[in-house]
Amino acid sequence: MPQVQSESSSESAVQPLLQQFQLLFYISKIAGILPQDLEKFRTKNVLEKSRNGMVYMLAMLIVYVLLYNVLIYSFGEEDRTLKASQSTLTFVIGLFLTYIGLIMMGTDQLTALRNQGRIGELYERIRQVDERLYKEKCVVDNSHIGGRIRFMLIMTFLFELSILLATYIKLVDYSQWMSVLWIVSAIPTFINTLDKIWFAVSLYALKERFEAINQTLEELVATHEKFKRWLCGDQETSSRALDSSQPPEYDSNLEYLYKELGGLDMGSLKGSGRNKVAPVSHSMNSFGESIEASDKATHQAPPISVNMAHESELSNASKVEEKLNNLCQVHDEICEIGKAMNELWSYPILSLMAYGFLIFTAQLYFLYCATQFQSIPSLFRSAKNPFITVIALSYTSGKCVYLIYLSWKTSLASKRTGISLHKCGVVADDNLLFEIVNHLSLKLLNHSVDFSACGFFTLDMETLYGVSGGITSYLIILIQFNLAAQQAKEAIQTFNSLNDTASLVGAATEMDNVSSTLYDLVTTTMLTPTG
Amino acid sequence: MSPNTWVIEMPTQKTRLHPYPRRISPYRTPSVNRNAFSHEARPPPPPPPLPKTLEHPVFEDIRTIMSVLKASGLMPIYEQLSSYKVGPPTKTNEFYSFFVRGVVHALTIFNVYSLFTPSSAQLFYSYRETDNVNQWIELLLCILTYTLTVFVCARNTKNVLRVMNEILQLDEEVRRRFGANLSQNFSFSVKYLVGITACQTYIIVLKIYAVEGVITPTSYVLLAFYAVQNGLTATYIVFASALLRIVYIRFHFINQLLNGYTYVQQQRRKGGNRRTTAAPSLMEHFPEDSLFIYRMHNKLLRIYKGINDCCNLILVSFLGYSFYTVTTNCYNLFVQITAKGMVSSNILQWCFAWLCMHVSLLALLSRSCGLTTREANATSQILARVYAKSKEYQNIIDKFLTKSIKQEVQFTAYGFFAIDNSTLFKIFSAVTTYLVILIQFKQLEDSKVEDHVQEQPQT
Repeated sequence: MPQVQSESSSESAVQPLLQQFQLLFYISKIAGILPQDLEKFRTKNVLEKSRNGMVYMLAMLIVYVLLYNVLIYSFGEEDRTLKASQSTLTFVIGLFLTYIGLIMMGTDQLTALRNQGRIGELYERIRQVDERLYKEKCVVDNSHIGGRIRFMLIMTFLFELSILLATYIKLVDYSQWMSVLWIVSAIPTFINTLDKIWFAVSLYALKERFEAINQTLEELVATHEKFKRWLCGDQETSSRALDSSQPPEYDSNLEYLYKELGGLDMGSLKGSGRNKVAPVSHSMNSFGESIEASDKATHQAPPISVNMAHESELSNASKVEEKLNNLCQVHDEICEIGKAMNELWSYPILSLMAYGFLIFTAQLYFLYCATQFQSIPSLFRSAKNPFITVIALSYTSGKCVYLIYLSWKTSLASKRTGISLHKCGVVADDNLLFEIVNHLSLKLLNHSVDFSACGFFTLDMETLYGVSGGITSYLIILIQFNLAAQQAKEAIQTFNSLNDTASLVGAATEMDNVSSTLYDLVTTTMLTPTG
Repeated sequence: MSPNTWVIEMPTQKTRLHPYPRRISPYRTPSVNRNAFSHEARPPPPPPPLPKTLEHPVFEDIRTIMSVLKASGLMPIYEQLSSYKVGPPTKTNEFYSFFVRGVVHALTIFNVYSLFTPSSAQLFYSYRETDNVNQWIELLLCILTYTLTVFVCARNTKNVLRVMNEILQLDEEVRRRFGANLSQNFSFSVKYLVGITACQTYIIVLKIYAVEGVITPTSYVLLAFYAVQNGLTATYIVFASALLRIVYIRFHFINQLLNGYTYVQQQRRKGGNRRTTAAPSLMEHFPEDSLFIYRMHNKLLRIYKGINDCCNLILVSFLGYSFYTVTTNCYNLFVQITAKGMVSSNILQWCFAWLCMHVSLLALLSRSCGLTTREANATSQILARVYAKSKEYQNIIDKFLTKSIKQEVQFTAYGFFAIDNSTLFKIFSAVTTYLVILIQFKQLEDSKVEDHVQEQPQT
């Protein structure tokens, strides 16, 4: 909890993340994805619970479900004749595939309903993190997030519209009035995408915060390097004169080793000014007092440019300890936010992944079926056209892959902080600082942010690889069996027709020699693959 | 079942200064007889009457399931030496367990014999050749699993007692230090027990109704023993989950204790204190507490490993058996649903009963394992959130964190794989794959049959 007085002063400086979400919020509010209060958001930029929103959302959900069922019913006429000819498995899978989109949409909306109080909290926590980062002179720029959201929205509209229009024009019989209902088929994916944009952009914001921390640490390193170079340049002029009194250059590098080996502190032996700072910070036993004091110190210090060559924060261990500690705590807080966010969206992500896997496999399989002139469920008519299939597949896979990729990148960025921290330790080359870095990097090691879908699988590249492998093997299995079934069917058909002709011919000419050999040939060819 | 609903608060300074008990539990009021996990609102329990026997029987929470396992010879009938110690069973009791196990093995041999003789053929009346083989394999797997369970349990008697003693010791230490009883409502074990019994009885009744003709006594014995075997294996799994839950509660306790020292809590309390009284030094108890926590954590890890060692073979065979059963039953269910005309409600119910039992057991097991593993790993994560000013405290923290870097806590099935939520996911994806393959084969088989049917009138 940041203190009250500092909050008021820095509030103007930190722009809340939610400000960028305005457009997305309005659209999702209209579409019935978020139940939060519209008025509160417009005036105060906060997400708050709202009963009216809840009622509206539930009403929208019911309307969608009804419309979708009407759609399935009115377009399912062809399927009923299909069922007789089709194998049961294909039919059951088709039924399941028809409803998975609805299931996904329901999961999204119900989860949003459940989480309505907690999402606001999440963004409040992000704002607090921003404030704390600002205090550490590490400003996170939110302004381009709005652009990102706009870009994602445009992409969504483009994809949805192109799929919808192309399918409608090419594959739906639009002479009938009922064909307008086809528009409903785009609703589940559209709503799902909007919901996922919330998640993706928030995740992206978290990733930016991790990167800002890393950036701050790297800047510290860069400044210190400059500082060292400046010191060297300064010394080179005077080193000639002081050559005998000055210890050799490598001594300071070995300080750490010295201490480890002999339990001696080179600094204390030499009495160099650098290490004298340490006892001061040690004497502060009371945790609270010292934090407050240094907090004020850092706060009162105006955010002057860190790039001044002759001033490096890393040379002052006690001061930098405070800063590193704070950065570490912010890192932990961001990790916690990430975990909370993952928990909020765990069921939608699980359903999205299941949906992506199923639809991807099904669409490819039906594409294969369509090229073989077999009948496919009417809701998957887009598979009849390879071009539309490609668009639909890239839309679905783009959603899944982007989420996985972003989660992976975020957890990588969080792990990178340790590396950046170590760079600080190496560059400063100071006993005390090295200890601090060691201590903090052990802490960082235990800040874990792994994104997973309900704990069933983690969202990283490995899973992506596994899923693509799964899709391939399922496709091969399905196609193989489809081939076998087709062969069996054809064999039966040729067998029957040949039988007919044979009996006709036999009735006419008392079993001709040619036809009997043909008959033999057919029976053998038919029986070999099946029998 | 849901430990997250507890009211947990760090004690105030005033209670801290109270001389006895030496340290205060993280749950607010110190009361020796209080159940640590009951809600605060509950009135304090009346002073317990002092019976002649020990006032505080060990493992009271899972008493029901323990008594079932004791009666079936899977658990030793231990003697309770004191409130916090159990001893090896007496000679009579030991002989009883031995006797029961002997009977079990004799029955197993009898059953295997009768399985291979035609007398049991009436039990496999079923409608398709492959299904008979499936049921046969299922029966054999069940027998194998249970026999293995009995063997492993017999061998691990001492280990089980040791683990139990360790848990009790730990409880004693916690109680001495914090005055908190770490016990929780384990009603889920009783519910599962009832569920398993109901499922098995139902299955047997279904089976008896399905068999045509008069059932021979041998078949009755076979069926009854089959049900008992299944039930006891399932009970053992519930028992293992309950043990894991016990360990989970202990882990959770020390995590809560440690949580009071994290920077978030410290800042919160500092903010609260500033307004009311002068801020006391918040970390003064940290060294002794952390030492206690480390010791407890290590002990818990040892207990966790002990439990894992005791039951990992059983778990492997149970998971295998369960996987097989779930796959075949899903397949049967599918065949029944899609078959034209001849839907038999008997087989449908049978499949549903099996599926319910095994899926719920798998879910219970993986959930308990996942929870405990997560809680055990959370300790170092929480410790990483403790920011101490002085070097001394930092070193304490560092030591533990360094120790736990590569110490991955996992509950494994004999080292084959770790059991947690992802196991559940893997099992179900494997089941799906097999189902698709099996169903496809069945369709090929069907089309072949149709061919023959069409062929018949013409040849």
